[in-house]
Amino acid sequence: MSKAISPGPDRPLTVLGIESSCDDTAAAIVRDLPGQMPQILSSVVAGQAELHAAFGGVVPEIAARAHAEKLDFAVEQALIDAGCTLSDLDAIAVTAGPGLIGGVLSGVMCAKGLAAATGLPIIGVNHLAGHALTPRLTDGLEFPYLMLLVSGGHCQFLRVEGPLSFRRLGGTIDDAPGEAFDKAARLLGLGQPGGPAIEAEALQGDATRFAFPRPLLDRPGCDLSFSGLKTALMRARDQHVDGGVITSQDRADLAAGFQAAVADVLVEKSRRALAESGEINGFAVAGGVAANALLRSGLEALCQSTGIRFLAPPLALCTDNAAMIAWAGMERFRFGETDDMALSARPRWPLDTSQPAMLGHGKKGAKA
Amino acid sequence: MQPKGGFDPNILAFDTSLPQISAALSSDVIIAEHDEQMARGQAEKLMPVLENLLREAGGDWSNLDLIAVGVGPGNFTGIRISVSAARGLALGLGIPVIGVSMFEALLDWDGPLYQPAEILSIAAPRGQAYVQYFRYGMPQAKPRLIDPCQPPLDLQLPVNMIVRGHCAEQIARPFNARWEEVAPNRVAANIARIAEIRWRDPGYDASARPTPLYIRAPDAAPSRHTVPTLAG
Repeated sequence: MSKAISPGPDRPLTVLGIESSCDDTAAAIVRDLPGQMPQILSSVVAGQAELHAAFGGVVPEIAARAHAEKLDFAVEQALIDAGCTLSDLDAIAVTAGPGLIGGVLSGVMCAKGLAAATGLPIIGVNHLAGHALTPRLTDGLEFPYLMLLVSGGHCQFLRVEGPLSFRRLGGTIDDAPGEAFDKAARLLGLGQPGGPAIEAEALQGDATRFAFPRPLLDRPGCDLSFSGLKTALMRARDQHVDGGVITSQDRADLAAGFQAAVADVLVEKSRRALAESGEINGFAVAGGVAANALLRSGLEALCQSTGIRFLAPPLALCTDNAAMIAWAGMERFRFGETDDMALSARPRWPLDTSQPAMLGHGKKGAKA
Repeated sequence: MQPKGGFDPNILAFDTSLPQISAALSSDVIIAEHDEQMARGQAEKLMPVLENLLREAGGDWSNLDLIAVGVGPGNFTGIRISVSAARGLALGLGIPVIGVSMFEALLDWDGPLYQPAEILSIAAPRGQAYVQYFRYGMPQAKPRLIDPCQPPLDLQLPVNMIVRGHCAEQIARPFNARWEEVAPNRVAANIARIAEIRWRDPGYDASARPTPLYIRAPDAAPSRHTVPTLAG
């Protein structure tokens, strides 16, 4: 990291963002004009769902291969969609972690090539910071605020205090909810991604029929756990599967019960996080699981009852995208920070480094 | 360094498919070269090495006519480091990029360059070898992964077969073929030479982009979970 001269708050900036930390290859261009809301000039997201469908999850090597062959096309498309050329840009922001290292590395190297060729500064962005700063891109939310980041790979409560300042109030000690939804969908023979599949199936089901546990609600604090819930679902399912066959009512009830348990836990832990977060200007969600209607309505009701502003960015900006990376890079750039050609891709990179790690206690350090 | 657009293209070639950074700058001849063993840190060091090379030759990025990059086979991550950087550079500079395989980089540039029938062999993990059949310097079949101790019999070539590269003697033995045990050397310099030949070919497509040559399928097993099906 090098300290650059800050462009200051008044200079118009146009930044390219590149994201490749999981199974979406994304590029976007964001422009920030002083005194106006930032504009997303383009946002290209090329997914890989079909490549991973047969494997019941994202396969790192398959993802890495796809990113390496799609990234420059995504950047070209983002430039075309925005009506820009590279010479209109002020900086190049790229996800430098945390995530699947093969994809992150391809993104970082593509960005380095572009930056070297154009002479533009390169800015490494923490993927989680991209999600966490999105409410400022979409709604101009002022610091500090509470963020629930809830996706396939992550689940944490963050008090967002500045573009580079995050305090973690709690998070999952095992699976992320998106991952739990994926596994639950697989257990029930539903499609992937699991979140939307479970949600659709739950519409026909009775959420009260199966009493699934609400993990960690009996303990204080904002930490969460979802892996036991998945096991409970498997046990309940096995009691209703006969010769590999399940009735549509059983399946719908299991899906509804599982979804209700996940939403309940997240809403209750959100209540505790709000109580712990001190003075804040709002409560925002991000991540793919934020698309879940039951969770969203639960969080909305919670915020209404506590009088706190609730923000849920549009779905395309909740799931992985590069506009959030461009924006987070812009915030870092305005702060006066850029990177150089030695920028490293990091599989693990906690946002809040002041606290002990939640996941990955090994010698490689905390994952998130 | 000559300005770009001259008769001889200014080519920047690099490869990180082996535990090293190999980089070369050519303009008719090799004008700067850097080969450095490196077990890790290629992603952090590659761009500084390339910038130094350009500086050494008294040029910069804007002098380049062509990027040439090694596409493997070799270390998957290493290949992606270079291919991703090369494609980013090419897009940023608005110039073409050519991918060259490690088999081609193994062709004998100091001897009779083009053998009539040649098996080129590159080391693969777990004692295996990547091999590809070339005639007069041109690939004739898809590359494949073999066990050099038990080379498949359909590797037999019609005439004057020679095996070059990794485990050449072992692979040649069952066929009574000639062999030459050599390891990749001055990889980027060779990549630059091959890229120039291809660039001068009238049929060359400047819009093509290099893709990694993995040969091995990704390690991934389909889900073993049995899922319930709906009744009725």
